[in-house]
Amino acid sequence: MDTLLQILINGISTGAVYGLVALGYTLVFSVLGVINFAHGAVFTLGAYLTYLLLGGAVGANGLLAGLHLPFALPFWAALPIAGLLTALVSLGVEASAFRPLRRQQAEPLLYLITSLGAGVILVNLLQILLGAEGYSLPTTALGSLPTTLSLAGAQLRTVQLVLLLVAAVVLAVLSVWLEGSRSGKALQAVSEDPTTARLLGIDSDAMIRLGFAVSGFLAGIAGGLVSLSLSISGPYFGISYGLKALGVLVLGGLGSVPGAVLAGLIVGCAEALVPAEWSGYRDAIAYAFLFGVLLLRPQGLLGRPQISKV
Amino acid sequence: MIDSTLLVQMLLGALLGLSVYLPLACGQLSLATPGFYAIGGTLAALLSTRVRALGGGESASGSGYPITSLLLEMLLAAVLCGVLANGIGAVVLRLRGIYLTIATIALVEILRVVSLNLTITGGAVGIFAIPQPFDQPAGYALFTLGLLLLVCWLCQRLAVTRPGLAMAAIRDDEIAAASSGIAIERWKRLAFVLSALVAGVCGVVAAHFLNAWNPRMGNFDASITTLAFVVFGGSRTWIGPVVGGLALTALPELLRPVGDLRLIVFGLVILLGPSLFPQGLITPELLANVARRLPLPLQQSLRLEKVRAQGEGKP
Amino acid sequence: MSSRAGPPPLLAVDQLSCLFGGLVAVDQVSLQVQPGEIFGLLGPNGAGKTTLFNLISGITRPSSGAVHWKGMAITGAPSHRVAALGLARTFQNLRLFSSLSCLDNVRVGLHRHSRQPRLQALLGTRAFEQREAELRLEAWQLLESMGIAELADRPSTSLSYGQRRRLEIARALACRPELLLLDEPAAGMNTTEKGELAELIHRIRADYRIRAAHSLTVLIIEHHVPLMMELCDRLAVLNFGRRIALGTPLEVRRDPAVIEAYLGSAPQEDS
Repeated sequence: MDTLLQILINGISTGAVYGLVALGYTLVFSVLGVINFAHGAVFTLGAYLTYLLLGGAVGANGLLAGLHLPFALPFWAALPIAGLLTALVSLGVEASAFRPLRRQQAEPLLYLITSLGAGVILVNLLQILLGAEGYSLPTTALGSLPTTLSLAGAQLRTVQLVLLLVAAVVLAVLSVWLEGSRSGKALQAVSEDPTTARLLGIDSDAMIRLGFAVSGFLAGIAGGLVSLSLSISGPYFGISYGLKALGVLVLGGLGSVPGAVLAGLIVGCAEALVPAEWSGYRDAIAYAFLFGVLLLRPQGLLGRPQISKV
Repeated sequence: MIDSTLLVQMLLGALLGLSVYLPLACGQLSLATPGFYAIGGTLAALLSTRVRALGGGESASGSGYPITSLLLEMLLAAVLCGVLANGIGAVVLRLRGIYLTIATIALVEILRVVSLNLTITGGAVGIFAIPQPFDQPAGYALFTLGLLLLVCWLCQRLAVTRPGLAMAAIRDDEIAAASSGIAIERWKRLAFVLSALVAGVCGVVAAHFLNAWNPRMGNFDASITTLAFVVFGGSRTWIGPVVGGLALTALPELLRPVGDLRLIVFGLVILLGPSLFPQGLITPELLANVARRLPLPLQQSLRLEKVRAQGEGKP
Repeated sequence: MSSRAGPPPLLAVDQLSCLFGGLVAVDQVSLQVQPGEIFGLLGPNGAGKTTLFNLISGITRPSSGAVHWKGMAITGAPSHRVAALGLARTFQNLRLFSSLSCLDNVRVGLHRHSRQPRLQALLGTRAFEQREAELRLEAWQLLESMGIAELADRPSTSLSYGQRRRLEIARALACRPELLLLDEPAAGMNTTEKGELAELIHRIRADYRIRAAHSLTVLIIEHHVPLMMELCDRLAVLNFGRRIALGTPLEVRRDPAVIEAYLGSAPQEDS
């Protein structure tokens, strides 16, 4: 586990997850100008859903004790399905926490508060239903692939490589969609200039919902990837990812898609490079980056400084 | 029904609500209150268990801790939290409001991680057997009540003097406030520092009251809870967070079934509050109505004409 | 700048530019406002007039050029510092404090002049209360000079549009400025109110001559050409961010560039 290659793979794997989560924040921030604080909870939901879809069983502590789906899907089926389900939940968050405020033209501060509430409710519902214990990967998850692969003289966990592959595919598809498709370009238009977009006939309400749906999908996939490659330590584990991804978001620059990915990789690798005796401090790395960025370059690596009209 | 122990918790809740309220009165959402609370508590725990000179360990039961030492701890916690808040504020407050919120979340997390890993704070287990300045919860209740009254008085003085008006203006419209000569960053920083002071001092009292301190005190959950105090109680006057803190701390204890769903209830409060009851329970209109019903001499001696007028003329 | 004889202009804008991404909002604009004059800024919508105000009052940073106040450089200075130096402004889209009463809105304008000793403020001593009452009276008198004193305790949101405009002016005057920047104060007013506005501005300046230590200079943006022709001592006309004319109303009215860009056949009409 000590080779540089292994460390790099660890770093990039973690970084890929951070990047996906940060991307979700970025999408909503682009179209609405606010941060969706329920994002971490949706991520957690994605992890649990993937676990269930992979055939995992719920422990004895929650209301749904012993819940166990009658089938066990391979990862390449479980992930997208979990993603679609979390996309739906994310739309629910939009409807309950964001839309009522938009109708009242509320100030940005209030969206933070309501989305926090939505996230808290989601996570605690998970805790009540599924209990607080941890889960690890069901053995059928990888299908027929071996658990470890030999690469360049090191034994690497297949799940990590799967994670990287999936993340790369998702990222590629997202980029193609944003740049190449009508809806993707419409989304970008709304994020650049909502008024002009509306004048051009783009339904910004629909675009906002689309942004939330894609954001939820990304969160679900990211959660699923974590449940695949690590274990779930309880419903609160996603909160930590969600919060760290805020640091990634600021590092990359609010509203920047490539920034979110780049920053995710940087933070992931930085965490992986922390030596074992300081490993307890790994969790603080993302926040250290955050404060550093705010001190030195608040717009982040690739962010655009925002101009407001008087 | 409400025993002294619960009363102390309620009073601490009210104080923490005020801590969240102060930056909000300036239009800033800070979630740092639990972080400064943790700093205060850790400081008190460390000083009282390790510094012999302060008088902890005088008696085997841990009681009889001198009040002067308690006050000294509060002063030190205030200074430490104030300096830290001032430093963070100087960096973050010149940026858009969202950056302060994120930075305060990061602060709470960093403090949690650091205290989990530092052996001096006892790691995950924390610090035990913190000496007691009061034998009974009633002693704590009285002391905390005094503290709450002091902070309330300070908030009221703030509201009726120049800083209060400046902060209200900043909250309504920063650009217009700046164009009227208000140095926005300076006042935001003041609100943030005051918020940190209140939270830190609270932490000191709490550490002694709870007899033990560990990293689970003052985490992100607490950010949600204290925010709910303000959203529920009312974010327009300082009375709101006090009422919110008292009520929402008592509620889970009094209604046992609700207790388990405590966080879901708080989540619902802050999910629905801003759209359904934007100003919370205690609004200026409500205060005006109450003021109007008081006997006239009482109104005049409390100078409530302004409170009355604020409620008149619906927007 | 200091090589010419006589005092420097009150406000000097020198080749000021502002670029938003690819858009040039203000393009190397220069002008000078002399103490005591009423200086008008004309131009079609989007000509850069409000942006120029924002550059002067510290809300937007210029991309290049300089702003001087009484000979001192204030380019890019933050809004509150500009206000402290003696510039106050109103806003095209009205920026009142919605949770405050009318009186409190004006009291905010008195911010820089309402400092009190901390201990007295904390304890609420009689001296403190007395000074507060004086300040409240000053605010009330400003409301009265704008004709809205009876609305003092009403929420600012309950006022009519014209009343809100006057409230904003009252708040700006509370800063005791030497230069008042008015951004389309007549917008949304009917003809009668527009006429009253000119009279209001003259009255405010007359008040200043009596009460204040200095005269009140006014820099005003407006669309209503006849109003500006009658009111202003000098005018500058902006179009597409550039200054296309500068001079007395008579000179500007005859300027072919102005006629072409903005006035059309308006010089023939008199209000």
